[in-house]
Amino acid sequence: MSGHPRLASGAAAAGAASGRRAARLSIKSVRRLYGELEAIRDVSFDVAEGEFLSVLGPSGCGKSTLLMMVAGLLNPSEGEIIINGDPVRGPRREIGVVFQSPLLLPWRNVLDNVLLPIEMLRLPRREYQERARALLDMAKIHDFAGRLPKELSGGMRQRVAICRALVHDPSILLMDEPFSALDALTRDEMGLELLRIWHHHRKTVIFVTHSIREAAFLSDRVLVMGRRPATVTRELAIELPRPRLIDMMEGDAFNHHVRILRKAIEASHET
Amino acid sequence: MTALLALARRLGSLAWPLGATLALLLAWEVLVRALGVRSILLPPPSEILEVIVLRYDLLLANLWPSLYMTVFGFLLSVVGGVFIAILITYSAIVRKVLYPIIVISQVVPKISIAPLLIVWFGTGAISGLLLAFLIGFFPMTINAAAGFQAVDEDILKMARACMGSRWQIFRSIRLPHAMPYLFSGMKISITLAIIGVVVSEFVASQEGIGYLIKLAGGLLDTPLMMAAITVLSITGLLLYAIIAWVEGLVIYWQSPSFVEVAQGA
Repeated sequence: MSGHPRLASGAAAAGAASGRRAARLSIKSVRRLYGELEAIRDVSFDVAEGEFLSVLGPSGCGKSTLLMMVAGLLNPSEGEIIINGDPVRGPRREIGVVFQSPLLLPWRNVLDNVLLPIEMLRLPRREYQERARALLDMAKIHDFAGRLPKELSGGMRQRVAICRALVHDPSILLMDEPFSALDALTRDEMGLELLRIWHHHRKTVIFVTHSIREAAFLSDRVLVMGRRPATVTRELAIELPRPRLIDMMEGDAFNHHVRILRKAIEASHET
Repeated sequence: MTALLALARRLGSLAWPLGATLALLLAWEVLVRALGVRSILLPPPSEILEVIVLRYDLLLANLWPSLYMTVFGFLLSVVGGVFIAILITYSAIVRKVLYPIIVISQVVPKISIAPLLIVWFGTGAISGLLLAFLIGFFPMTINAAAGFQAVDEDILKMARACMGSRWQIFRSIRLPHAMPYLFSGMKISITLAIIGVVVSEFVASQEGIGYLIKLAGGLLDTPLMMAAITVLSITGLLLYAIIAWVEGLVIYWQSPSFVEVAQGA
């Protein structure tokens, strides 16, 4: 890969992505109001199947609100979100969500926590038990299947949460700043793990973060959201080869992307 | 090994209060004898123990009715309290209408309605049972309602994202989450249920520990009265201990366990 990543304007990048693969997820002119407050203004974008998309922005810019609307936990005030042709009206089976904190149930061991969605969806536990174990294996926490969450470290708990989000084999994985509570080292490591799992399962991922480096390192494409207005202000395709390696974070190409994203965030602050 | 250590630590923590109690009893014994206090005013502990041993059949015969009324009244207050708490959690109307009424009704000291219950339901078991229930119901309801509603909003969000139904979320999340609250409610309710039963027996009854205490009082048989009080207290302590023991079994995830081992691995 050369050290000259091509910059794509928003429309061009979206067009290129949807030209290659059928769009699975469309967000169309979505607006969300909290009383008088406009949390999200006129957000539209498509996510291609198997794409790793990050939504980057400062805290309080409404990126989590956007994700919760995609998850069907919150209704848009205007506009709609379409998944595989259907408008989102509530939580859906083909979606898995990873939240900022692991949200494990302290009375359940790791395996039973991972199997929670299977229980809620009334799927046969026995069939999915193997899958759950395979996921734990892949997340390198297989030995802890019988442990309670309090016996795990923060990073391990978030791995369990990721396994739980994947256990029912959703095609879309929504992640709401999943690593923000972890220390920097664990965070990089978790990012690599996530990419490995993503590579293996090829889910469509929407990853919300306020870390520029994290967004640049993980994603195919990054959307920058500003606070005023609370909308997508910039779109950048990340032209780094896959698989991504930690060493790339030292490289010029990576830092070039980081600079562009930082400028975009600063620009959205100024106005 | 760890279990033994835990047991030893537990016994160690009991040593002080036990030692203090024994010292107090000893001082009581010595002082009463040295000062020549009459038994009718304050019998020494040894005499109370003697009565318990010699008249155990009388004490037991009166303990059983009190015990089963306490236990049934308590169970009723647990079932009723949890049921009302569920309604409070899930129904906005109940929360708005019933909850304030339940809270305000606490202004009425329930002991004061014991004679009323006797008028309505007679001197039999029902009055005692009802008083035990009424008196234990409130802390149970309040604790259970608090427990069901104290679940982290994000955990509920996560469960909804997993497409959990209301019932599934109640059973798999709210109920286990509320367990520590339910058990603190139970610990309060069981001690209150005993009070309810004894008061009801004071008012009008032909049997029970409360009846025996009143009877012994009337006969100025202070040693028997204090023997009955002792038996009642020990019973209360045992009932409380049983609940605390079950609590430890049910809420296994909160007991301090082998965290160090897991992190060392």
